[in-house]
Amino acid sequence: MKFSVYIRQRIGSILFALIGLSILIFAIARVLPGDPARMALGPRAPEWAVEKLKEELHLNEPFLLQYYYWVRDGFSGSLGYSLVTHRDVARDIVEFLPATLELIMYATIARIVLAIALGVLAGRYANTWIDNTVRLVSYVGVAIPGFVFAILAVVIFGYFLNLFPTMGRLTEGLVRVPAITGFMTFDALIAGSFAAYVDALWHLALPAFSLVLGGMAQEARITRASIVENLNKDFILSATSHGIPERIIILKYLLRPSLIPTVAIMALDTASAVGNAFLTELIFNWPGFSRYGVNAMMNKDLNAIVGVVMVTGVLFAIANVIVDILVAYLDPRIRVIERAE
Amino acid sequence: MMGKNRRVIAAVVGVAVVAIIVGAFFLTPRPPPPPPPPAEKRIFRTTFPAPIYIDPGVGSDAASTTSMISLYDTLVHPKVTGEMEPHLAESWKASEDGLTWSFYLRRGVKFHDGKELTAEDVVFSTNRILTLGTGFAHLYKPYIEKTEAADKYTVQFKLKKKFGPFVSTLVRLFILNKDLVTKNIKTPGPYGEFGDYGKDWLVRNDAGSGPYMVKEFRVGEELVMERFKDSWVTVQPNAPDEVRFILTTEAVTVRTMIGRRELEISDPWQTVENLKVMDEMKGVDVAIYVTGVGISYMMTHNRKPPTDDVHFRRAMILAFDYDAMVTQVSPDARKPRGVIPANLPGHNKKIPEYNRDLKKAMEELKKSKYYDKLDKYEVELHWVAEVPLREKIALLFASNMAEIGIKVKVVKVPWLSIIDEMASMEKTPNLVVVSCGAAYMEVGSMLMQRFHSSSTKTWEQGEWLLNSTIDKMIEDAVETIDIESRFQKYQKIEEILEDMAVTIPLAMEPTRRAYQAYYVDWPVAKGQICPLMGYEMEIRFIQVYPEKRRELLAA
Repeated sequence: MKFSVYIRQRIGSILFALIGLSILIFAIARVLPGDPARMALGPRAPEWAVEKLKEELHLNEPFLLQYYYWVRDGFSGSLGYSLVTHRDVARDIVEFLPATLELIMYATIARIVLAIALGVLAGRYANTWIDNTVRLVSYVGVAIPGFVFAILAVVIFGYFLNLFPTMGRLTEGLVRVPAITGFMTFDALIAGSFAAYVDALWHLALPAFSLVLGGMAQEARITRASIVENLNKDFILSATSHGIPERIIILKYLLRPSLIPTVAIMALDTASAVGNAFLTELIFNWPGFSRYGVNAMMNKDLNAIVGVVMVTGVLFAIANVIVDILVAYLDPRIRVIERAE
Repeated sequence: MMGKNRRVIAAVVGVAVVAIIVGAFFLTPRPPPPPPPPAEKRIFRTTFPAPIYIDPGVGSDAASTTSMISLYDTLVHPKVTGEMEPHLAESWKASEDGLTWSFYLRRGVKFHDGKELTAEDVVFSTNRILTLGTGFAHLYKPYIEKTEAADKYTVQFKLKKKFGPFVSTLVRLFILNKDLVTKNIKTPGPYGEFGDYGKDWLVRNDAGSGPYMVKEFRVGEELVMERFKDSWVTVQPNAPDEVRFILTTEAVTVRTMIGRRELEISDPWQTVENLKVMDEMKGVDVAIYVTGVGISYMMTHNRKPPTDDVHFRRAMILAFDYDAMVTQVSPDARKPRGVIPANLPGHNKKIPEYNRDLKKAMEELKKSKYYDKLDKYEVELHWVAEVPLREKIALLFASNMAEIGIKVKVVKVPWLSIIDEMASMEKTPNLVVVSCGAAYMEVGSMLMQRFHSSSTKTWEQGEWLLNSTIDKMIEDAVETIDIESRFQKYQKIEEILEDMAVTIPLAMEPTRRAYQAYYVDWPVAKGQICPLMGYEMEIRFIQVYPEKRRELLAA
């Protein structure tokens, strides 16, 4: 099948999946215990106020009609009213999502670089002390949850060593950075404040670090296994016998095919970090999307729950498409097959 | 050749990216450098759980109320003793029939935008909260018929029926700037000509006259307030210039901030273990205080077997180990003295402290119709999953009941589910561990919240008392204008409720907060506690000494 046709089909199936997800989460949010209107107004609010709010939110309407209103409003850019923040969920997402994406972006860059570096080292020096050390680090990273790293980071680097800030995105009193993209580092550069840029990076260090270790451990192991498998292949033997330096063999000939299995995991780890970051955001008081989502669930904020799950679903879908494209880029056999067709 | 071209292209792209970044830095106009911070800026920071609602017509929880107390003024103000003193209102009087209350306002009070506060603003604020029906509206809705401005500085409340504690409730009526709110109303809205009644704007802004005003509110992250220099109220000389309510209660975060002197007073939801660690830090103390206006209850279903039997309930009350509760489970708590918190004005002082008596417990149990069938009647006890301390209470209770042969099934239930359960008589379990505090400083508040039929179906009454005689007695008491007579009626009702063993009060639990004793002067730590929710953190009475903070940091 042509690759372009394949991608179009993938996008079509993803859209179908997202519609199904929206119906599912819409239904699940409404069967969770608790009356959302009562919770939003407080236990002492009179019944008439609760009924009024239910009417405004269409909560007394049949399920399909509620879904129709939600979809209809969605096409005009509204994701419904949030019972916690008292404004449109779309505005909340625009405000909180960039903070989480920025955190994940830096965590992902660090994670990928470290995973590949460690995986290559472990694979190249398989069954040596280097490999064993990387293996040990990997076991620790996989076994220990990210929030434990977050707590350890706060206690060691924030409290005992006092090297890094432990909350927020920028130091109080520093020059105000206008929110243009929502990415504090980019906005600081756009505003021309290198001090704010460095400060924002400094604030990102610990929360990003706590998101790196778990995924990095797994990806390093997968990379290592792939490197070891490919090291014994004929094309590597051929390159070696031609006298090509080892560094070039690894970086040019070995790395690319070895990354194919890792890339898929990296993309999914990145997408899942959006949802998994909530404990990190909680510990660092990071005003991000994941924490917003958890607050929505704790307060049965129906529209926010649906909005958060849909955005997470879309990010997963985008990650899947990116994986497909990257794998096609990395594996020339896919392009050869396409040309042959 | 191809490889060399790629390297050249990659190098050019890399240089271009660096050039763009550096160019953006050098060519983009920079904002002017910030002015140097004023010397000795007093900053006060404390933590709260999210969300906070600073709109007086919406918020009613501890965090929201604490912020509103600093942003807004009220007609009266509570003293440490619980009595009301003049505040915005210099004086007040009730008509002979108790149905018209006139309040005479202080002149020259300014809102944060410079406008003078007048009777029109009080009328607007009252009408607004009654229309919205949320926040503390439940205190006024049953009673206020109409509010009028008799003249520029006189406001009159006309009541539907007499309400003795009316003045006490006015600590929750925060006065908004009518003109400012009206200017920011969004139309169309659900309130006719008033649109959204300014709800959208008041999420992040204030329209108050209080000693502090909103500087910035990053929802879900932090509320920043700054001193209002033209405030009419007395503010301590070293009161904070800037106040930050940081919206987190994460144990490790709070502990780190206290250790780094980035937090002056912690929230009261920290675990005993975390507070102990903070207490050991240099310059940090833990203030432990019992306000005495709230109680942890084992709410007892009066209409579900076997807890529908008065002797069974009395047996449980007598079998519970109150000493263990206040020494081991919740150290520094106080034993209850009746079903009403002991520090509420009007409380019946004759009711003794609760103590365990297993012998009497057995005697009562033997009188119960379920005595011979204890095996068949298991008592189900639900505790709130989000509050770990409640599990300890539940387990202590269960083990105490086992000693007299009562089987208790302990079930962990999320708070949302408990609210759901308590909305239905059938679903409410036999026992639920819940804490309740008074909305205003009188016994009548707790009687209405906890035992009047109007509070059934809410989490505040798991008893399902539904006793019309008690209802009438409570209504009669709160309608009594004369304070002595009213208090006597309260005390009579308390005696009856004691005799009926309607519920099991467990303890008056303490509030514990870590604070920077070395550089923060906090009246509560010296025993000057205004017991009403939010007032223990009235910012204008807290003093901060930044020079002492610097000493600690240097050390």
